[in-house]
Amino acid sequence: MQDENASTTSTPGTPPRVYLKGICKYFPGVIANENVDIEVLPGEIHALLGENGAGKSTLMNILTGIYQPDAGEIIIDGYSKQFASPIQAIAAGIGMVHQHFKLVQAFTVAENIHLGWDETPKRVSASVLEARTAELAKSFNLDVKPGARVSDLSTGEQQRVEILRVLSRRARILILDEPTAVLTPAEARELFRALREFVSHGNSVIFISHKLDEVLEISDRISILRQGRKIATEQAADCDPRKLAKLMVGRDIVLDDMRGRGAGAKPKSAESVLKVSGLSALGDNGLTALRDLNFSLRAGEILGVAGVAGNGQRELSQVLTGVRPASAGEIIIDGKPMAGMKAGDFAAAGIGHIPEDRLHSGLAPAMSIITNAVMREYAKPPVARGGFFSRDAAARLAREIAGAADVAIPDFAMPIRNLSGGNQQRLVARREMRIAERILVAAYPSRGLDVGAINTMLRYIVELRDAGAGVILISEELEELLNLSDRIAVLYEGRIMGILENDQLDIDEIGLMMGGRSRIRAGEAA
Amino acid sequence: MALRIQRMPSSTPMIALAARVVAVVLALLFTALILAMNGHAPLDLAGEVLSSSLFDDFGLQDLGVIFIPLMLTGLSVAIGQQIGTWNIGAEGQFYAGAFAAAAIGLFVPAPDWLSILMMVAGGFAAGALWILIPTLAKAYADVSELISTLVLNFVAALLVYYVATGPWHDRMTNSATPAIPAEIPELWGVIHWGFPFAILLAIVLSLVLSNTKWGYEVRLSGSNPSAAKYAGIPVRRHLITVMLLSGAVAGLAGMLEVAGTVHRLQGGISNNFGYIGIMVAVLARGSLVGVIFAGAFMAFIQNSGIILQTEGLTTSSVLAMTGLILFLTAIGEELSYYRITREKI
Repeated sequence: MQDENASTTSTPGTPPRVYLKGICKYFPGVIANENVDIEVLPGEIHALLGENGAGKSTLMNILTGIYQPDAGEIIIDGYSKQFASPIQAIAAGIGMVHQHFKLVQAFTVAENIHLGWDETPKRVSASVLEARTAELAKSFNLDVKPGARVSDLSTGEQQRVEILRVLSRRARILILDEPTAVLTPAEARELFRALREFVSHGNSVIFISHKLDEVLEISDRISILRQGRKIATEQAADCDPRKLAKLMVGRDIVLDDMRGRGAGAKPKSAESVLKVSGLSALGDNGLTALRDLNFSLRAGEILGVAGVAGNGQRELSQVLTGVRPASAGEIIIDGKPMAGMKAGDFAAAGIGHIPEDRLHSGLAPAMSIITNAVMREYAKPPVARGGFFSRDAAARLAREIAGAADVAIPDFAMPIRNLSGGNQQRLVARREMRIAERILVAAYPSRGLDVGAINTMLRYIVELRDAGAGVILISEELEELLNLSDRIAVLYEGRIMGILENDQLDIDEIGLMMGGRSRIRAGEAA
Repeated sequence: MALRIQRMPSSTPMIALAARVVAVVLALLFTALILAMNGHAPLDLAGEVLSSSLFDDFGLQDLGVIFIPLMLTGLSVAIGQQIGTWNIGAEGQFYAGAFAAAAIGLFVPAPDWLSILMMVAGGFAAGALWILIPTLAKAYADVSELISTLVLNFVAALLVYYVATGPWHDRMTNSATPAIPAEIPELWGVIHWGFPFAILLAIVLSLVLSNTKWGYEVRLSGSNPSAAKYAGIPVRRHLITVMLLSGAVAGLAGMLEVAGTVHRLQGGISNNFGYIGIMVAVLARGSLVGVIFAGAFMAFIQNSGIILQTEGLTTSSVLAMTGLILFLTAIGEELSYYRITREKI
């Protein structure tokens, strides 16, 4: 242990490469960072670990000059710095590779490397740029094709171009945001090799991730952020996945158990209302986003789906409501296979859907509140009579939904985007609850809402459960899931890592699964 | 107290209308200024325009004759907007409708009434056919309809020019086909029955959009396709139907021009009606009934241009004036979302 520590702890008197001291950043109503102290040493790969919203991105945006801190200091190589813009941060040797690459797709690799760089020669030709790029690639030992168009490259190759662009600006501190999220395992190994070589020359890497195994594999030290604060900095050699998971999610959970059924509530039935077997689906990019899911949902039960956003949640909610086709496997609702059925058929079968992004897919923001309110019931009486659309009946239905949602609306003809986010979400929830006779699929129903609106939303879900519907609740708020769900499934990279009964689960175990460790109790306990 | 400019999420109809009126008045003022700088007397010219269009029977008839095709091409573009598309090809579909009408009128022997009915059907079909490829490309390959509808305009214009001066030409004129025997009956002077028919079509389509299940689905699909898919609406099918309808209406405009007004097919028969129809739709703010009023206004502007030409002005100055109106309307449209508010510091 002692020796390993020595390799990453600098000799006395040598300042850390980066010292973030007491960094605070506040957004209206949100503490993004508070009193964060992090030291990154020369020759070190330093991981930043945390859930969505833990403050990792804000902290890195401060270090790269995109945001200015409200308090605290950035000290680079012992000198206090203030970055008014990203250009100054780049000049100080800080480079960042974002999760979504910032490359010009129609340009060649060489053109992208030289774009916006003051060392680009005044008179350029394709061959000069390509020769310079080849030389740079050789000096950093990164394999890129200078003449290739970026749009023709794989994501792994594009990432190497991004890294080369950052390094060619003489970056000594390289920040990578979830770099392996877009890579195949082989490409990830290649990246790790390049990172190790980069730090062997005394440079530093800050590696942002939520995957426990890879953080343990690549980094020398690990800092854990939670709710905007730094919880701990640990030597990677002293850590195991369980310890990291505990640090990452082990917050003070305010349990407000809503699982108890009232007197009038229908009990959890023995019959399953939804059965999913071998279900797979493709994402928008054509790659597999859901792999071989198997689970069932009983009437009167809430099944929570936990996981870091972007691990297949969006695709899951879409495939269960017919918006996205399944690429393999079966969805059975009330014993009826739904193969080949579309969103309209799912709705007719009694499935409501609170979509992840209500403004984009659940509402037509520019259209009236009436138009939006009747979206699920326009095709049946009383709104539709024969082929006709009754505007009076539509207005009545809209008033009824607004009444149930307890939203005061001055003018039902005004565009729905004029309403607050909370009121929009209430209307969507009420609209969906009306048709969700069997199942409600709720994706992040409380995202972006204030505390009062969140409580209303959770009450609605309990109300629906007590009426005997099955609920799939997808959320990134563990508290919400623990308070409501009867069982919790954990999604990681499109797979269900395990399904836990709520009354016998261990919160660290959920953390482990969210970080990509499957449920092997016996093996882990050893 | 400080003045702040604030963007509102939506504009009220009154303010939007006021913005349009201000835009038109400003455009007229600019035009007057330019005319004055070129040595004309703007007020005299304005008086001349008004007395020989609005206050004169023949002037009103001329207005009506220009109104019919303008309103219909405007309606065509506005229909496309319902499903979220820009039909820039009303010009080409107009030519296609005119071509089909002339072909039926010249070469299919039939009694007049039957010939007219066949020409109406042919005009609709040809307009729809002319937008078929852009429609399928948009629906199945997400190809922007802006370009694909535009380029077909030139194909249609040259095709009509070719047959009118080549294979179908009249020995006497050499620049147009012979007169077509079947004519749409006239209603008042040179205004034919296409006039009430066009207005009725706009009203009926508007009612269909707001009072049928199909209309609801179309409006939702046009406003947010992903919300429509989520609601189980067959967005692609509606896109195809509505775009074809848009083309068909522009085709009808061309057919009416041939069978009701010109009575032969000639090169340049569209007079840019298809392009001006885009302006009509913009002025109408996507409202199908609004197209009737916007069409009447644009007909007045176009007619004024013809009168001004007899007073020695060039066609380019008239074109510049219509361009100014569109330009200022677009600015007014955007500005109508802003309010000036006062607040204490």
